[in-house]
Amino acid sequence: MAIITDQPDSAGPSTELEVADGAPDHDEAPRTGVFARPTHATGWREWLFTVDHKKIGIMYGAAALFWFLVGGIEIGLVRLQLWAPDGEVLSADAYNQLFTMHGVTMVFLVIMPLANAFANYLVPLQIGARDVAFPRMNALGLWIFVFGGIFLNLSWFLGGGADGGWFAYAPNTGMAFSPSNGMDFYALGLQIAGIASLLGALNLLVTIINMRCPGMTLLRMPVFTWMILVVQFLLVFALPVITVALVLLTFDRTFDSNFFNVDAGADPLLWQHLFWIFGHPEVYILILPAFGVVSETLPVFSRKPLFGYPIVVLSGAAIGFMGWGVWAHHMFTAGMGPVSVAAFSATTMFIAVPTGVKILNWIATMWAGKVRFTVPMMFSVSLVSMFTIGGLSGVMHAIAPADTQQTDTYFIVAHFHYVLVGGALMGMFAGIYYWWPKAFGYHLNDRLGRWHFWLMLLGFNITFGPMHIVGLQGMARRHSVYGEFDGFEFWNKIATIGYFFMFIAMTILAVNIFRTWGRYRRGLEPQAEADPWDGRTLEWAIPSPAPEHNFDYVPVVTDVDDFWHKKYQPDENGKLRRIANGNDIAQRGDQHPHLPSPSYWPIVLAVGLPLIGFGLIYNLWIAGIGLLLLVGSMFGWTLEPATDPDAGHGHGHDDGDHGDGAHDDDHDGGPNGHDDGNGVLTSSTGNGEAAGD
Amino acid sequence: MGIRFARCGRVAAVALAGLIVAGCATGRLDATKPVGPEAQKIDGLMRLSGWMAVGVGIFVAAAVATIIVKFRAKPTDDPDDLPPQIHGNRKAELTWTLIPTAMLVGLTIWTLPVVFDLAKAGAGPTIKVEGQQWWWQFSYDLDEDGHYEIVTANDLVIPTGEDVNLELHSNDVIHSFWIPQLNGKRDVVPGRVHDWRIRSDEPGIFYGECVEFCGLSHANMQMRTIALADEDFERWKQEQEGGQAAAQTAPAEGSLEAAGAALFETHCISCHVVDGTYESAAGGNANLLAGIAPNLTNLMSRTAFAGALYETYLQGPDGEYLRDSGGNLVLNIAEMREWVRNAPEMKPARADNQQGMLDFSEVLTDQDLDHLMAYLKTLGSPPVLP
Repeated sequence: MAIITDQPDSAGPSTELEVADGAPDHDEAPRTGVFARPTHATGWREWLFTVDHKKIGIMYGAAALFWFLVGGIEIGLVRLQLWAPDGEVLSADAYNQLFTMHGVTMVFLVIMPLANAFANYLVPLQIGARDVAFPRMNALGLWIFVFGGIFLNLSWFLGGGADGGWFAYAPNTGMAFSPSNGMDFYALGLQIAGIASLLGALNLLVTIINMRCPGMTLLRMPVFTWMILVVQFLLVFALPVITVALVLLTFDRTFDSNFFNVDAGADPLLWQHLFWIFGHPEVYILILPAFGVVSETLPVFSRKPLFGYPIVVLSGAAIGFMGWGVWAHHMFTAGMGPVSVAAFSATTMFIAVPTGVKILNWIATMWAGKVRFTVPMMFSVSLVSMFTIGGLSGVMHAIAPADTQQTDTYFIVAHFHYVLVGGALMGMFAGIYYWWPKAFGYHLNDRLGRWHFWLMLLGFNITFGPMHIVGLQGMARRHSVYGEFDGFEFWNKIATIGYFFMFIAMTILAVNIFRTWGRYRRGLEPQAEADPWDGRTLEWAIPSPAPEHNFDYVPVVTDVDDFWHKKYQPDENGKLRRIANGNDIAQRGDQHPHLPSPSYWPIVLAVGLPLIGFGLIYNLWIAGIGLLLLVGSMFGWTLEPATDPDAGHGHGHDDGDHGDGAHDDDHDGGPNGHDDGNGVLTSSTGNGEAAGD
Repeated sequence: MGIRFARCGRVAAVALAGLIVAGCATGRLDATKPVGPEAQKIDGLMRLSGWMAVGVGIFVAAAVATIIVKFRAKPTDDPDDLPPQIHGNRKAELTWTLIPTAMLVGLTIWTLPVVFDLAKAGAGPTIKVEGQQWWWQFSYDLDEDGHYEIVTANDLVIPTGEDVNLELHSNDVIHSFWIPQLNGKRDVVPGRVHDWRIRSDEPGIFYGECVEFCGLSHANMQMRTIALADEDFERWKQEQEGGQAAAQTAPAEGSLEAAGAALFETHCISCHVVDGTYESAAGGNANLLAGIAPNLTNLMSRTAFAGALYETYLQGPDGEYLRDSGGNLVLNIAEMREWVRNAPEMKPARADNQQGMLDFSEVLTDQDLDHLMAYLKTLGSPPVLP
């Protein structure tokens, strides 16, 4: 198990020696560990072994955009098949696999990790922390997600993708009815991705609760961070439910158990309840981060504070709570009996209230503002309007009898695409353009961004708008063909045309990303300023791109939108005037505090999980190897040296200079918890040395 | 310039009108054209909620449009001057919490009685519906003795003017029964019996299909409800029972039909039943994953075959049945023959996994197919149409 020590540019003595030399502040000798730890990783190693939340966030985003391409191509084939009646582009089998994998991909490999990208990158910045609470665990979550996604999609090359729908209703997903390995890859792949989400959720929960900078009470937290907090609670409670369901499915398929075997007395509705008890909170897991994004962008670009900040926060939390009481509205036709149907019909109606409140507060935020229609703002406004359409059709389904006509038709497909594309994705795009300069140090091209926006908005409506009509006209979902007398052809042609608009829009985004990146590398793009949008939250109080250590000194906040209040103060007449330019008062990013070192183990440990997955499908011996790797990596993880003394030390590092150390102990609880030896790193520069380990 | 705009406008108007006409040409599954009273109740709720949604949508759209037009930042704005900084307003929050709540309370009060009403059983006859991969079977116990006198597939024949109770069973996976113009959907779940109610007060053919994803050929699991006036329904019942009697008479020896019957006995009866003659598959072959194959006793009386994918009798382009000089319906013999020869070609199936009909193209010769067709033609009388 020897690990090659990475000894890049800053050549020096062995790690162990460095540790001994590098921790003079400690009374006890530092734990050196059995396994060496990479010190400065460069090049590709810099990414593979990183524990930096910002790099991890960027990799989540890159992976999500890659899977977005895959999921988009999958559904493109479906759209081509539906171009004309009795389509012959795809076989029924291929069609079923494609719509299943499209759903699974878009939900689990695109929108969730995109939200995770923003959460990882921004939460520490917005709460004034140097990293998340558990940096190595953060990296582990990323790599498990990456390998889980690859594992899931390897099914395409190993006998075909899952063919039971993303909802995988039993008993159609049992071995008898779905004999290929597709559903095994589905069950195990989602299980693996679920572990990743759970790790991320716990990490962010601890981070948000414990690592806020001095003065940042919960009700001074940026709304994006708030929504991420709500989402992490949802994840922590929802993922165990799908975990149980997937375990049962795997046991049925792999070990012939009888959880969903009707002949042995099983009730297939068990799966539906388990799936939707997870599945409905999942909807809010997908949409709330986007709500968080626009709650940041709308005030900035309207130059007004968020209207009703506490109401927006509370309604987000209310959605999180109420989201647990509506799952069975996915089952209005499943035969639960009228009492259950009536109860879930009523609860579902009223979840529209906090959602509507949010929308009205956003509108009030923009109202009477001086609205700058930048690209992120255009995406944000389109979230407000497009999500509203999806929300309103959602109220229509809440009426259970009406839902019996709408469910499993394209009306529902239209509804949730207005929510997930018009809502969640539009919000994510807003976030991409808004925070791009912070993450990469340059702006995405504005003109290409506008093309992206307009083609996306147009294509989205051309694709999904007609689905309302064709759904009410009776077109069922998941039908690989429709008849020529059904009258569906016209709107399906329109929808397929709309798909290509969206495809072009996404191509433009890709061109924008690669072209602008290339220009930036050649010095043709101006360096982004620290505060390019006249922002309100702490991430704009540091240089662009965010330095590796985030903050030179830990900020102290006294208000919601504290950074903004440092720029605008009332003049003698009580009128707010600009007193400072954000770029001038932003931190310089020139300090070099101690940071957690990279680590080999997260990525090595993560490889163990897909091996166990393969083992459960093909041969338990492979699972044994995976298990060995997993357990071995845990030892490696535990035994590797707790820190890298080389990183950030000895580079103009003066205790207390920028530290604001005085504040450290004045504020409640967690915000300044010290490193416990594995890189829980929160304290100010002043304590950087001590925080080492 | 003005003229050009006017012309553009005219072209756009024509194009839009064309779009609307093309887009509104609806088919036979249209859920917005309810016929049965249940579907009409649902339609009422859909329209009410739909118009409310449109109203709220217009309100939000108008607000967003106002913001885009009126509150847009202007280049002349002083960058250091701020719009009024409003942090919130308790009255406004209260208003836009209470108004939607009130609207939703109203909708709920409107909805709940319909939920309970639709769950009630009707007064009329009960028909057993069985969903299986990938076709529907309908069984009638006319004298309520526990024995199903009529067993048919694809065509659900019901009387008009009374509630018909459906007992929904599944023989394999979950399906969903949906006749949009008569009622909403009801899932058909293995291990459970679900009750559903439909009614049509006027004769007609109402199309439907399976709408819960049920595997490979989910798209091809269709059915239709044929609502018949009282005297027609009586006639249909008699003809169904007559078909059983007729099936018991063996075809004349040496005829094409007799040769077909022999082939049928060799190749078909392990899955298909013809009442009174070939009952070996009765009750379902335990080895058949998808339950039994359709009972063929009155095959000719059905308007469709192969999961209602194909019409039994030829139709013109407007959907009217073609008739020969004698006024008789014209059998769609080409497709039926092709179906018997190689069914998986015409409807995706997994015969190797006992899901769907086998491919007989290597087994049956052209002559065999002629004989089989001749025999199948003897099974039942033409359908009773509304």
